[in-house]
Amino acid sequence: MHTSELVQLCLFIGLLALLTKPLGIYLTQVLDANGKTLLDGLIRPVENLTYSLMGVDRDKEQDWQGYTLAMLLFSLVGVIFTYLILRLQHLLPLNPQALPGLSAHLAFNTAVSFATNTNWQSYAGESTLSYFSQMVGLTVHNFTSAGTGIAIAAALVRGIARASANTLGNFWVDVVRVTYYVLLPLSFVFAIFLLSQGVVQNFKPYDTASLVESFQSQVPKIDEKGDPILDANRRGLLEVKTISEQSIVQGPIASQVAIKMVGTNGGGFVNTNAAHPFENPTPLSNFLQMLSIFAIGSALTYYLGRATGNQAHGWSVWSAMMLLFLAGVLLCWWAEARGNPTHQLLGIAPGDGNMEGKEVRFGIFNSSLFATITTAASCGAVNAMHDSFTALGGMVPLFMMQLGEVVIGGVGAGLYGMLVFVVLAVFIAGLMVGRTPEYLGKKIQAYDVKMAMLSLLVLCMSILGFTAWAVASQWGLAGLNNNGPHGFSEILYAFTSCTANNGSAFAGLTANPSDGDSHYNATLGVAMLIGRFLMIIPIMGLAGSLVKKKIAPPSPGTFPVQGPTFTILLIGIVLLVGALNFLPALALGPVVEHFLNLQGLLF
Amino acid sequence: MKALFCELRGALVSTAILAVVTCGIYPVAVWGVGQVAFKDKANGSLITDANGTLRGSSLLGQGFSSDKYFVPRPSSAGTGYDAAGSSGSNLGPTSKKLVNGTVKPTAIASEKPGEPLQPGPEVVEFDGLKLRILSYCEQNGLPYQLLRAGQPVDPKLFKDAQGAYDPVKLINAFNDEVSLTVRAGVPIPADAVTGSASGLDPHISPANARIQAARVAKVRGLAVENVQACVVENTDQPSLRIFGEPGVNVLRLNLALDALR
Repeated sequence: MHTSELVQLCLFIGLLALLTKPLGIYLTQVLDANGKTLLDGLIRPVENLTYSLMGVDRDKEQDWQGYTLAMLLFSLVGVIFTYLILRLQHLLPLNPQALPGLSAHLAFNTAVSFATNTNWQSYAGESTLSYFSQMVGLTVHNFTSAGTGIAIAAALVRGIARASANTLGNFWVDVVRVTYYVLLPLSFVFAIFLLSQGVVQNFKPYDTASLVESFQSQVPKIDEKGDPILDANRRGLLEVKTISEQSIVQGPIASQVAIKMVGTNGGGFVNTNAAHPFENPTPLSNFLQMLSIFAIGSALTYYLGRATGNQAHGWSVWSAMMLLFLAGVLLCWWAEARGNPTHQLLGIAPGDGNMEGKEVRFGIFNSSLFATITTAASCGAVNAMHDSFTALGGMVPLFMMQLGEVVIGGVGAGLYGMLVFVVLAVFIAGLMVGRTPEYLGKKIQAYDVKMAMLSLLVLCMSILGFTAWAVASQWGLAGLNNNGPHGFSEILYAFTSCTANNGSAFAGLTANPSDGDSHYNATLGVAMLIGRFLMIIPIMGLAGSLVKKKIAPPSPGTFPVQGPTFTILLIGIVLLVGALNFLPALALGPVVEHFLNLQGLLF
Repeated sequence: MKALFCELRGALVSTAILAVVTCGIYPVAVWGVGQVAFKDKANGSLITDANGTLRGSSLLGQGFSSDKYFVPRPSSAGTGYDAAGSSGSNLGPTSKKLVNGTVKPTAIASEKPGEPLQPGPEVVEFDGLKLRILSYCEQNGLPYQLLRAGQPVDPKLFKDAQGAYDPVKLINAFNDEVSLTVRAGVPIPADAVTGSASGLDPHISPANARIQAARVAKVRGLAVENVQACVVENTDQPSLRIFGEPGVNVLRLNLALDALR
């Protein structure tokens, strides 16, 4: 741990804190259907045109059922849209590599993955998807799923802030305004910056370079149909091939990378995501990508404070998030810098840390920081391979997701997830002192707590249930890249990531085995749907209940939702209620692996 | 029912409009700016030689193995540094494969056409840390030992008639005998023997480059200082002096060395 790394960490948190207020104020303006913003002159006419084509009345608000219905229909149409594009990509334009259409289960998994803001990649982008599929089929969700998340968060915040009302805003207005005023301008500026760092943006076919030094490789011999020639024992016929060319991926990458970070989507254009030099060429592009992952989520806490008229509450929630985040970063960084004792016995320099699966330009610190950010924030982009992290270093991303993606969290999703914990925190605090629990003057009653708990239990059931099924099944074990406890971690990570709508992976796990088994794509797809919609529906129910309540003036006995006491209580509730369920599973995976690693055991 | 229909229209129309704006106008606008303001970078920072032949991208690594070149990190991208097939090894901290490596059986075609394939020789599937450390030490003249239960083993056991190591034999031995291991006599830079995340890492660490510089200078008949100067010239420093780690760009460095003569 060097001084320069501490400086980078301080710069990151400092800049994030500075960004939070101005961006939060801007979000407040955008999330008011008639709010005035800087960009009105430019965007307002387009916005109005969009509403009139859609047949939407800007001033007509929806109750919670109406809002939820609109959101569900919007997502459904999006899934079908992308599913069709992926299935038919061989018939669509912008396919210079002549890639074939996707199988049904892979297309389902991918469409759901992007519609739910998960962006789990069952496919390898550069060898599976055409430019059109990437740019239209996937990028549209990068915007709309992020917009949907922010809209839901805004609806819940309105539910908290309004009193004796019935409506929560208009879903269509929220999505359109967030997309036009926030996501598009931020992405555009960010994409230009990324271009300046070396991220590519073009529509040409892949380039072919003549290698400076060609080399020989044993490659599988292929028959006329393009299948490898195998004998009865599945041994492949090999041929020695001199490789003298390098095929270089191209495509509209900058525009997609910008929104995948700003909208915490995380779906990379290429297989290795933000580790690939064309997606993340310099440490500076890396730093700003990390900052852009957290920017909107962080600013939404300021919006919470603004909207509820209690700015200190917003900052208290922000502080709870940042303390949890800091603890995660420090543990991950420490574990990765310490390295792997088994490898160091062979002579690898101990001071270099665990460099397997990391890029030189990012090193240990920026890889650990990125891993924690991307999982804290439901982004899922990766600049290092989490599968190759040390046991404890890899446990941090896993744990961040199991907290429920509330440490900053996905855009919108992080805030509404955290507000569920806030409701539980005031409920538990109320029980402890024997008073009716109140949140910002509103009584928290049985129905509200039931809805809050429902949204949490659903996550737990999906993660642990699917993991248990997979580890007890042939199809589950067939996809593993690692044996021993690390194999268990791979499966646990996959279902955690999909349920939490994160999308990062212990990427050794193969969801597309060569025998075409569809279990992983199907179950992971269902886990993503559960994690998104079965969480949102109870939360919208909670919003619908809160919005009807009266606000009682604060009395001396009111539990304050600002200040250190509240922050500490909130952290405690997140850890106890959110994470305790997963400790036995973590003990079977990363914890036991850590001790086996210290013993030098291999699997 | 009417409400449902109304919302469905909103969903269909908004998806269409947002697709046009975010997937049509937006990427094309970024493309336009890129082609005007950052033409070279937006097209992949490509390197072409004097004849106009494309030699690679300054952002992407390329495989090198001979002594006269700096050798990059091990790669899991396709057959090695396949820039259309990025991948890491994804092997974990307790992976036996990562440490010991693996071999795979092959088949050879039988002499008469139509007859089943015959078993062929084993080939290396994944080289593993032990073999990489051994090769790195051999190539750069660093001290190392082959140990069995802590006692030195005669390396000749694993060499062929020409005196070169047989990698398949070594990997099989590492996997069969738990106590057979390699120990380098000096600390090996971690990046030299571990795979990167993308399999396309263009950089090696300055420490790794320092070790290799002596060998490259000797093979090329250059003074070590000249090679070192080349290394420094092709080192990418941390952005704004704060962010990230310094890295030596292997492709640019090797091209610069070739251009010296």
